[in-house]
Amino acid sequence: MATNVAGRGYRTWYAMLLRLYPRPFRERFGEGMAQTFHDLCREHRDARRGLFGLALWIFFETSVGIVRENTTHMSQLGKTMLRVALGALAVLMVPLVASQVVEGWNWDAGGFVFVYVLFFGTGMVYAVIARKMGAWSYKAGVGVALVAGFALGWSNMVHVADSENPANLVYYSVLAVGGVGAWLARLEARGLARTLFAMAATLALIAVMLPSGAPPYVARNMAILHGVFVALFTASGLLFRHASLAGLK
Amino acid sequence: MAKKNTAQAPLTPAVLHILLALSTGERHGYGIMKQVQADSQGKAKMGPGTLYGSMGRMMEAGLIRESDKRIDPEMDDERRIYYELTGAGRAALESELKRYRGVVAVAEGRLVHGH
Repeated sequence: MATNVAGRGYRTWYAMLLRLYPRPFRERFGEGMAQTFHDLCREHRDARRGLFGLALWIFFETSVGIVRENTTHMSQLGKTMLRVALGALAVLMVPLVASQVVEGWNWDAGGFVFVYVLFFGTGMVYAVIARKMGAWSYKAGVGVALVAGFALGWSNMVHVADSENPANLVYYSVLAVGGVGAWLARLEARGLARTLFAMAATLALIAVMLPSGAPPYVARNMAILHGVFVALFTASGLLFRHASLAGLK
Repeated sequence: MAKKNTAQAPLTPAVLHILLALSTGERHGYGIMKQVQADSQGKAKMGPGTLYGSMGRMMEAGLIRESDKRIDPEMDDERRIYYELTGAGRAALESELKRYRGVVAVAEGRLVHGH
């Protein structure tokens, strides 16, 4: 009876210790490690051996593992940040070179810094989210969603600045749907699929509700642009759906 | 034991023991631990920190993979995650055993001939 109580106590402490592992590792192995510790406690209890020595050894051994995994995790995060920073710099070369050859493209240094931060931020979001699941379709879904979301946000920002028409801010509701949906879905593939379909539907609704009266060529271009974004969000949703179904197999 | 493949690189004792334990079938964490203990006649003692840390790196290297969650009839009704060898894992184990056999042959030759 006393061993049972002690065992429960040790298991509670062990579960708390496991929280010190980096999150991805904990999500992958935390349950299994707790189960293994439970099995070891049971083995000792059945052999009528005390649990103190076992708990002391396992706690020490696991603590060493925690230090090792955190060190590895930090070094991987550092490498990822460096890769994303270099990637963002490479992408920044496009507007940098374009500003030299395209007439009227006159960003100041602050503009380039702002764009670099946007590229870097988007890249880091991809790097962090894409490692949630190993399936290629999940990673591709994240990539397509981020590229489409970035392009929509960017083009809208430019459009609002040029036209000074605050009505265009309605397009940000598509991104808001994406942000809230991703948060509610906890980045799980199934929920993200629904989120992306909801984003596509929101954008299609905005396109339908646009006031008519624009010249035909403008209306046609707008329709094509909306269609491309709706197709991209839908494609991303389908990729997440594929990842979700693959995860169930 | 870093990235994919590893067939040529010597394996760490923990990785070798885990591969050996899984060579006869899929096992859950505790099952692997017990098998390692049995294979080494109690000489190798592996705690959850070493076991799961090694398994994480082995999964990244494609040597093992999660098999399924299921009930172990000998333990209780809790669901456990089972692990199994991949083709690359089996190849890495065979390659390591071949390397060991080579080392043993050299060592025995030296002991017999004295040089």
